[in-house]
Amino acid sequence: MTIAKLFIAGLALAGLTAAASAGTLDEITKRGELRVAVQTQGPPFSLVGAAGERTGSSVELAELMAKEMGVKITFLDFDWDGLIPALLSGKADLLVADMTPTLARAMKVAFTKPYMYTGSTVFTKADGKFKSTEDCKAKGTKIAVLLGATGEKEAKKAFPDADIKSYKGGGPLLLDAVNNGQADCGVNDVSAVKGQSTAYPAGSFTIMPDMLSKEPLAFATRYDEQDLLTWMNLFLDQVSLDGRLQKNLDYWVNSDDWKKDH
Amino acid sequence: MLENFSFRTIVEYLPLFGQGLVTTVWLSVLAFAGALAVGIVLAAMNQQRGRLFRIPAKAYIDAVRATPLLAQLYFLYFGLPRLGIILPELVVGILALSLNSGAYVAEIIRAGILSIPHGQVEAGVASGMTYVQRMRLVILPQAFKVTIPPLLGQAIVLVKDSALLSLIAVAELTRAGQLLASDRFMPAEGFITIAAFYLLLYYGLKGLAALSGRWLGLAGAQT
Amino acid sequence: MIWQQLQSLAGSYPLALRGLGMTVVLSLISLVLGTLIGFGLGILRTGGNRLISGVIGAWVDLIRGTPFLVQIFLIFFILPELGIELDAFSAGIIALTNLAACFICEIVVAGIRSVPTGQVEAALASGLSRWQRMRQVVLPQAMRIVLPPLVGQYVLLIKDSSVVSAIGLTDLTRVGWLVVQRVPNGLLVFFLIGLGYFIVCYPLILLARRLEQRIGAAHGEVQI
Repeated sequence: MTIAKLFIAGLALAGLTAAASAGTLDEITKRGELRVAVQTQGPPFSLVGAAGERTGSSVELAELMAKEMGVKITFLDFDWDGLIPALLSGKADLLVADMTPTLARAMKVAFTKPYMYTGSTVFTKADGKFKSTEDCKAKGTKIAVLLGATGEKEAKKAFPDADIKSYKGGGPLLLDAVNNGQADCGVNDVSAVKGQSTAYPAGSFTIMPDMLSKEPLAFATRYDEQDLLTWMNLFLDQVSLDGRLQKNLDYWVNSDDWKKDH
Repeated sequence: MLENFSFRTIVEYLPLFGQGLVTTVWLSVLAFAGALAVGIVLAAMNQQRGRLFRIPAKAYIDAVRATPLLAQLYFLYFGLPRLGIILPELVVGILALSLNSGAYVAEIIRAGILSIPHGQVEAGVASGMTYVQRMRLVILPQAFKVTIPPLLGQAIVLVKDSALLSLIAVAELTRAGQLLASDRFMPAEGFITIAAFYLLLYYGLKGLAALSGRWLGLAGAQT
Repeated sequence: MIWQQLQSLAGSYPLALRGLGMTVVLSLISLVLGTLIGFGLGILRTGGNRLISGVIGAWVDLIRGTPFLVQIFLIFFILPELGIELDAFSAGIIALTNLAACFICEIVVAGIRSVPTGQVEAALASGLSRWQRMRQVVLPQAMRIVLPPLVGQYVLLIKDSSVVSAIGLTDLTRVGWLVVQRVPNGLLVFFLIGLGYFIVCYPLILLARRLEQRIGAAHGEVQI
């Protein structure tokens, strides 16, 4: 009981100091840096280029945000396990990754408005016996998905008779599993699949034209950073109006152009 | 993260944690049995005078001890299919854990055998015992007592190492925590709960070792 | 394809060196600190005070019984809520040092307990103080038992340090994860990462074996 009381007292204190201090934007301005958590395991959104530099669609958008704020950017590089704790614990101001704003997740973090739409797609090995989404529905088909990703849920819905295998460690491992024959079909975000399959010789995979779902992608911040959330939404409005968002997505997501430079 | 710690959500996910716990337990039991088998074979090879057996055993043990389990797991998981061997994830996982822990078990057995006073062996030889008899009647029973605590230590390491199998799509305990973290964005709830379950397994194993120590008449068995 | 991948990997060598450096620095600092603290804890644990001994025992159990990932999480993400803000590197050092200290404590305790009670009694009879008994009689003998597993523990520590990638430090294992995004060959990439660890760990394993042999020689090696 005493511990609980102490705790509540501590929280009240923390609340007081939060109320007394200025908003997150003021804090960022004063600090002179925007701290952004990224997951560097998902081309084309976020990756480490050949020269060891951090880059990708989300990374460049975050850099643009910092530029518009007039502060420098500090990337905090986490793997998936560390991404959410980094945001919740206040180590990072915001989080850019190819994340779907599900309603369950939005109970814990504040998502911006979607900046693009994508969807889960099915892919198979090009010379294999699984040629269509229909083929993958056969009983016992091994389907590779990413643990906790929306593709995992979509696959469970679309392939109720299949054997769903959830991997950790990033989309490229799904391609590797399918390429190696550990799985027959893979389900993941279409932009990720397209971006990541370029690491293989052309024509290694068949990417099905039909989508399992349509999903928005959004950035995230905390609910106690309403000012930052408002600013981020305005930022997304502005960059989509002046075409900078489209330019980013055309370069990174809708084509293979980035492969030449990174 | 702590101020909003949600016990309710943990309870909601409890069946999932339960399933994960069960998987972790039985795959660890199988993997440890495998590790004992691998360890005994390696230790026996290591005791031979001929280099033919000793050198490969030593090389294997060193290679396993000097590289991370993650690298070994991938080596098996991505390497075997290239040889045309495609095994279910669970089998690869248990195999990797057995082969990894086996190297450590071999070292533990070797240390156990070394701990037996010289005179005992000589007495065995003097009373006309064969190698097998000496091993079975004199050395192994004593070595067994000395090896119980470090074997327990290795079992604990194995149980915790099995968390790595979540990387190759095995739905064990750690995975349940990660699911809570990625579905509901509740990492604190997920990770603290799995820690509690692992601690439970740890105390279970410790109790088991104390029990077996008493059973073997090992007064003052310290774990 | 393999040739292309190898070329692409060769280009990543600065990243790999940085990762290796991080792994070595993290491990080195925490194994030095961990050894000092571990010996202290081990001596205290075998000392007469039941309360101190019990508290240390419980702490060691807690650390041995829970996943290291969870420990590092609590230190990096939850401690700030209690007002202790740490950067990733310090958090990594603290977590690893604590882990090392707990395992080394167990090794030291086993070593001290292996010293025959007669020795301690003799020291007691010859009027040595507690500290003198420890320093001149018990520890020198315990070291024989302690050294080989201690060096073995260092190897485990170096490998455990890979967990720090969860809090954003780029160590050798994390370099593997980063590179595998571009070079999609898990086998090749993690074989090379394994090689990196081997280069660091193998000399330690050889050292442990040498120590063991020297002790064995002094002790009279058993020939079965």
